[in-house]
Amino acid sequence: MDIHELTAAYALDALEPDEAQAYEEHLGQCEECRAQLAELNEAATALAFGAVSPAPPPRLRESILAAAAAERTNVIPLRPRRWTTRVLAATAAAACVAVGFGISALTTGGGTQIVSAAVVVAPDHTATLNVSGLGAAPQGKTYEAWIIPSGGRPRAAGLFAGSSVKLNGRVPAHAVIAVTLERAGGVPASTNQPLVVAQT
Amino acid sequence: MAARSEESALAELYDRYGRAAYGLALRVVRDPVLAEDAVQEAFLALWRTAARFVPERSKASTWILTLVHRRAVDAVRHEQRRRADTLENAPEPSVAGVDEDAWLRLQRERVQEALRSLPDAQREALELAYYGGFSQSELAERLGQPLGTVKSRMFAGLARMRELLGDPGTEVSWTSTS
Repeated sequence: MDIHELTAAYALDALEPDEAQAYEEHLGQCEECRAQLAELNEAATALAFGAVSPAPPPRLRESILAAAAAERTNVIPLRPRRWTTRVLAATAAAACVAVGFGISALTTGGGTQIVSAAVVVAPDHTATLNVSGLGAAPQGKTYEAWIIPSGGRPRAAGLFAGSSVKLNGRVPAHAVIAVTLERAGGVPASTNQPLVVAQT
Repeated sequence: MAARSEESALAELYDRYGRAAYGLALRVVRDPVLAEDAVQEAFLALWRTAARFVPERSKASTWILTLVHRRAVDAVRHEQRRRADTLENAPEPSVAGVDEDAWLRLQRERVQEALRSLPDAQREALELAYYGGFSQSELAERLGQPLGTVKSRMFAGLARMRELLGDPGTEVSWTSTS
């Protein structure tokens, strides 16, 4: 089967889990598919508006906000929780043991930025983080990457200017990679809110 | 970074997109409880990963609805609520009696009109896949068509929908109607 032909089905969530995983791995290497997916994904999402939309019960809103507030201290998801989403700016190596993705929307003075992060973990547990959508760090600031082992504390994993960094240190299974904005030179431990988080 | 509290941003995001999200989930899972679960899981997934939520001018709706759809399809497949009857015979939630948001109604009519203009085979493939939650393999079996045919129909149908709907432009409308 030609994996390029799976783009429409992926956009419609019409792949079986193993097919979807294979396609996501392919997506990291195929710019053509990423571009096509971006287009077809818009069309697929438009279908969402084709459904009748009765008002959800009021308790749903309360329930979501209460659950979010309860997780308030969990700035970073420490539990291994695997979910993938469409990643339009991923770079994957041919041989890797894990690929993690994350997307976030940032508010800045100028409006909105959609930031995506892709982390590719090699068989020797070294990893490269690719981020798209972050501008250059402001004067006197730097981006800092963090490796957060499942259930463990964040470890500083390198400073970078905005797009790609080879992480310092090994990335254990199910680790979370986070990016923060810090003062130039970086910090050994951060209290800042992550700009984007990728779950491997 | 905006000073706005994240929780109120999440609330705002829900107020804008919660209804569309719930409608989508309900259409796919056809069960109010499962639909609520899918919406809640999607919003919380967003909450756990996003540093800041930006309701205005972003493509937040695409992102949320993508997450909701994924959850809803997972739920349908997980529950193995495979419906023996065809989608045509299992009506979508009725419009009658639904106090539908005017803007959402316009969007729905626009999308449904575009769907109606597709060749039947393409529309059927899109509806069964997106609203029915069927995988391409299930579709091929159900329709008695080769997998390649199903894939071409989905691709041609989606590409045509894109032409018909253009850039959805949904985000712009939100600000003027909310």
